Amino acid sequence: MPTLPADMVVPVFMGGASARIDADVVAKFKAGDEVIARNLNPAGHTRLPRYLRGKRGTIHKVHGVFGLPDTMAHGGSETPQNVYSVRFTARELWGDDASARDSLYVDMWDDYLDSA
Amino acid sequence: MNGIHDLGGMHGMGPIDAETDEPVFHADWERRTFALWTAAFAGGLFNDNESRHAIENVAPAQYLAKSYYEHWLHSLERVLVNKGQLERAELEAAWSKVEEEAA
Repeated sequence: MPTLPADMVVPVFMGGASARIDADVVAKFKAGDEVIARNLNPAGHTRLPRYLRGKRGTIHKVHGVFGLPDTMAHGGSETPQNVYSVRFTARELWGDDASARDSLYVDMWDDYLDSA
Repeated sequence: MNGIHDLGGMHGMGPIDAETDEPVFHADWERRTFALWTAAFAGGLFNDNESRHAIENVAPAQYLAKSYYEHWLHSLERVLVNKGQLERAELEAAWSKVEEEAA
């Protein structure tokens, strides 16, 4: 595990720091692409919320390359891959009673998504 | 994991009760918990994903009943035991001492 030098601790905790990885990994999707969140149910850690699984969304923005929490939480490799802001409409998630004006933007890793 | 932490979309949890002029820490032990976690994290003993997963492993009823920094403390203890930095017996002895002092 990398250490954080003493002189970096206060700046990182006060101002935050990006976990973006400087790796040349090709993005599977681009802005505007339609995607479906995979129905994954790992026994370990994931950042894929239950209410998104199997739901259809649209890539809003490509954030760049980050480590995959699902492997990093269990002593595994970083599994670097692209992360996206994905837009899901409230109606897609909660049905016809939800507001037609509302959407949820969720950060999603490549491994969480299939092409729709 | 499909745990209690994944609350999105659940009903019946009530409104978020925002505290006016909320202090960063509500008690000194919270400040110390934050400092211990930060020192251990900066020292490279674990990554943030491991820490989050340890919080997810808090027993469901406890998860809902305990406070934010109690989750942090639980996570720190669990991760340090898992990594062999802390003996379970050491931890239990420390907690027994706390309970004796509180009694």
